[in-house]
Amino acid sequence: MFTDETLDALGVESLWRKSQQFAQESRGCQTRPVHTAEAEIQPLLNADNGTQTDPQDHLIYQLPLKGELRPESPGLRDFLHRVEDMVVKELGSNAKSHAFDGFDVIWEDQNETVSCIHCLQHPSAQEKGLQVTSISWSCTGSVIACAFGRVDDGDWSTEKSCVCTWNLDRRGLNPKRPDMVIDVARPVMSLSFHPSQPSLIAGGLYSGEVVVWDTNRTQDLILAQTGMSTDTHREPVYQVAWVPGPRRGEMVVLSAGSGGRVLLWTVDSDEGRLVLSAGFALIRQQVPHNSALSKNRGSSNVGVTSLALSPWDLDTFLVGSESGLVLKCSFSAQTLAAAPPDGESVTLRAPAQFSFSPRGGPVHSLHCSPFHRNLFVSVGTDGLAHLHSLLQPDPLLSLRVSDSYVFGVRWSPTRPLLFAAATGQGLVQIFDLGRKSLRPAATLDQLTGGQPVYCLEFNPRRKDLLAVGNADGSVNIWHLSTELTEQGPRETAKLEQLANEVAE
Amino acid sequence: MWIWPCGNTNPIKAEVEETLKRIQTHKGVIGTIVVNAEGIPIRTTLDNSTTVQYAGLLHQLTMKARSTVRDLDPQNDLTFLRIRSKKHEIMVAPDKEYLLIVIQNPSE
Repeated sequence: MFTDETLDALGVESLWRKSQQFAQESRGCQTRPVHTAEAEIQPLLNADNGTQTDPQDHLIYQLPLKGELRPESPGLRDFLHRVEDMVVKELGSNAKSHAFDGFDVIWEDQNETVSCIHCLQHPSAQEKGLQVTSISWSCTGSVIACAFGRVDDGDWSTEKSCVCTWNLDRRGLNPKRPDMVIDVARPVMSLSFHPSQPSLIAGGLYSGEVVVWDTNRTQDLILAQTGMSTDTHREPVYQVAWVPGPRRGEMVVLSAGSGGRVLLWTVDSDEGRLVLSAGFALIRQQVPHNSALSKNRGSSNVGVTSLALSPWDLDTFLVGSESGLVLKCSFSAQTLAAAPPDGESVTLRAPAQFSFSPRGGPVHSLHCSPFHRNLFVSVGTDGLAHLHSLLQPDPLLSLRVSDSYVFGVRWSPTRPLLFAAATGQGLVQIFDLGRKSLRPAATLDQLTGGQPVYCLEFNPRRKDLLAVGNADGSVNIWHLSTELTEQGPRETAKLEQLANEVAE
Repeated sequence: MWIWPCGNTNPIKAEVEETLKRIQTHKGVIGTIVVNAEGIPIRTTLDNSTTVQYAGLLHQLTMKARSTVRDLDPQNDLTFLRIRSKKHEIMVAPDKEYLLIVIQNPSE
C-alpha cells in the first residue's frame, strides 16, 4: 500500500539575477625617480645674543606717549570736524544751565536716625575691669576685633588680657559671646588687621612685644612674634600698622612705642618670628623745631603715642608724641639717629623732617584725610581738634571737641568734610566742616556712665557703620544716618578751599 | 606707502591736536578721550587706568543706547549720549569709526 520513496531535488534557475562581474581591468602608476642630494654646512663664526622684555607694571593696554610720531588714524580729523561744533555747543550750554540745580535722585532708602545696633561685650574681660584699648575692622568689613588692656594703669602690668573678634555678618551673632577669643599674656595696646588678608591681625603689647596672629589656625594662633630680644621695644607699643614692604605685594608691620622707636618688622612665618628690617629713633635733639622748646630735662627719647600713615604719599608718616609734638617723618630718611646703639641689629635712623606747632599735652590720635593730600587732624588731652595742613606749622582750624581729653579721631571714608572724635566723657562728637557753626553735627552717647571712649573706627566697606570702643569693656556698633554718610555736592571743592587758607 | 616727516610738522596731526585742545580747555572739562571702533582708546588726557575704564564701559553703553534707539524706531539713530551724575556729566559723540568722550564738571 504505502511505500518509501525518495525523489531527486529540483533546482530552479534565477531569471533576474545576473553575475555582476562583467569586466575587470588593472592599472598601476609610479612616479618618476625622485632626485635627492645631500649637503652639509658649518658656521665659521659664532655669536651669542639674548633679549629680555621688561616686566610690565600694569597689565593694561599701554597707550602711546602723547606727542610721539605715530601713524595717524585715518578719518580721525574728519570725525573731529564733524563732532566738534556739536560738542562745544553742548559743553557751553551745560556750563550755563540751571536745569539740574537742586535736583537729587534718591537711590537708596534714606536713614534719618543714628542708632546703636550692637553692643558687643566679653563678660570675663569686663569682670576683670579691662578696657578696650584698640579696635580694628577686617579688610572685608565684616569682622571687628578689639583689644583689651588698660590705659589708665601706670605700672608695668602683668595682667592677662585678650583679643576678641566678632563677625557681624554671621547669623546668630551673640553680642555677649565673641566668635574668637585670643588669650594674651600681657595687655594689648594696639591692633591692626592686615589690609588684604582677612585672617592676619597684628598687635602691640604693653611689654613692648609685637605679635601677629593668624585666625585661620586652629592650634597656636600666633603666626610670628618679636619675643623679648634686643631689637624689641622696651616700652609699651601704642601703634601698629601694616605698610607696604620693599618687595611688591609684601606687607611689613610697623610698630611705634613710647620708647621713641618706630620699627619695621618682616613676617617670617616659617620660624614664627618677626625680624627687624628697619628702625627709626626719635631723639629730642634731632627734632627740627621752629619754636624754642622748653628745656626740660628728662629722657631724650620722644615717646610716640600716635602715628598716622598718609594714603597719598607712601613715604610720609606723621608721629604724635607724649610731649605734644607732631612731627612729619619720612621712611626714606638717611640721617643716623643720635641714640647710643643698644644691641639692635639694624642702625636706627632719624626720620623727623618737619615739626608742627606743639600741643599742650600728649597727642592721642592723628589721622590723614583720605580726600586731600595735605590735610590731617590731630587730637590730644587739651580737648581740641586741630586741622592741619602738611605745608605749614600752625593749624588751619581749631575746634573744641570736649572739656576733657580726646582719645581718638577719624575722618569719614565717604564724606570729605566729616570727622568723628572720641572724648573722655563717653561721647563721640561728629563734626561737619561744611556747616557754618563749629558745634558738632551729631553726638553719640555711648551710655557708659561717663567713662571715656578710647578708640573709634569707620568700617572700610560698609560706609554707614562706626565702631566705638569704651573704657567699660564694650564695643558699640553705630549705624549712621544718610546725612552723615552720603557725600554732598561740592564737598571736595570746599575741602580744597579750606586747605588753601593760610592761618594768620 | 606714506612717509611722514619727522617732528610735529604734520598738518593733519596738528589739526587733530588743536581740535582736542580746544575741547579740553573748555570751561569745566575734566578729561577727553577718543576711542576707536573696537573700544580701544587712541587719544586721552587722563591717566591710563582711568582711560581704559571709561573707554571700555562707555563703548558698551553707547552700543546699547544705539541699539535701543534703533529698536524703538528703525529709521532713527543715536546722535549724542549724555550721562549726568552727582559729580559730573559725561558726553559721548558717537560715529561709525570713533567715539569722542568728554567729561565735564558743570558746576565749576
